[in-house]
Amino acid sequence: MKKRLIIASTLTGLLLVFGMVGSAAASGESLGKCSVDEYAEKFGAAELTPENISDEESIEAIGEIFDGCIEAPSPIIPEINEVIWGGGAFVVLLALMLWKGFPAVQRIMNERSEKIASDLDEADKAKTDAQAVKSQYEAELADAKSAAAAVIEEARQQAEVLRSDLQARAETEISEMKAQAASDIEAARERAMGDLQSEVADIVVGAAERVVEANLDAEAQARLIDNYINQVGSN
Amino acid sequence: MADDKINSYAQAILAVSAAEGNGTQVEDELHRFAQLLEGEDELKTTLSDSSVPAARRQQIVEDLLDGQVTQTTVALISMLVAAGKGTDIKNIAKQVADLAAETRGKAVAEVFSVVELTDDQQSRLATALKSATGKDVEMKVIIDESVMGGLLVQIEDEVIDGTVRTRLKQLREAF
Repeated sequence: MKKRLIIASTLTGLLLVFGMVGSAAASGESLGKCSVDEYAEKFGAAELTPENISDEESIEAIGEIFDGCIEAPSPIIPEINEVIWGGGAFVVLLALMLWKGFPAVQRIMNERSEKIASDLDEADKAKTDAQAVKSQYEAELADAKSAAAAVIEEARQQAEVLRSDLQARAETEISEMKAQAASDIEAARERAMGDLQSEVADIVVGAAERVVEANLDAEAQARLIDNYINQVGSN
Repeated sequence: MADDKINSYAQAILAVSAAEGNGTQVEDELHRFAQLLEGEDELKTTLSDSSVPAARRQQIVEDLLDGQVTQTTVALISMLVAAGKGTDIKNIAKQVADLAAETRGKAVAEVFSVVELTDDQQSRLATALKSATGKDVEMKVIIDESVMGGLLVQIEDEVIDGTVRTRLKQLREAF
């Protein structure tokens, strides 16, 4: 981790150096100074003024000077002074980074690592807890399903018992009703037979009484009395 | 009426009739009057009605029995009616007969018949009853049309039933 940090810092410094060199080579100050210096060297004039640039030849010469100044700095190899300044700035920046930046970054990264590890632990713990809860829920769900199944089974058994009881009761009631009906029929038959017998007895006995009354004259009465006396005397 | 009162009235009647010297006749007349009363509900009710003056009830008895029975019997029945014992005459008459027969060493046999028994029938019946029960009996014949025919004899608690009524009843029960 630390090695990669150092490599990144170095590459950043080099980019800053070359960036600063490129910027210096492309600035207007360098182009003007170059042009003035080249003009003075080529035409010996002290100053490059508009009055000195009046003819077409001068204009073309100045154009060539400008082109030469523009093409003069190397886009790859910086000026030495720029290397020095850039290197110094890099060193200073690197020192600052190593002194203040890296520890802070390191601390932040450690804290972040710790936080991530803590979060991971918490996540693991939460996951474990969630799994435990899930297991508990699944167990409770299984228990609930088992309890529900038990309740359903118990209800089914109770319903079966109730159905059996009701059926037995109904059968008993039907048997009792049949027995009662048979008993009622028998009682009605016996009553009818009794009434019939009574009516027959009334008719027969009534007829017998009428016959007896019609035939019980004095002689018959005397014979009955004599028979009674003889029967009592023979006992 | 309690049994002791009936017994007291019966003993008083026996004592009076014995004093008058016609005990057996009074006993028989009292018995016949009791039977007559059982067949005449209106007469029985009138003689037992306390709202009818006692003198009126006694007058009815005298008018009814005068010349028919002895004066002793009339006087005794009149006394019972005046005393409000019209409904107990039957029981008193029976108790009189029982006490008199007991005095003579006999038992009273109540004979229920449709017709009167001849002397011969009564004699043979008394002999037959003695043979059956071992007791000398004095018969009190009671005319009862409901027996239809034959005889029913009751000696104390024993009943010997040979009536047509009972035969017909048995015939009805046999159905």
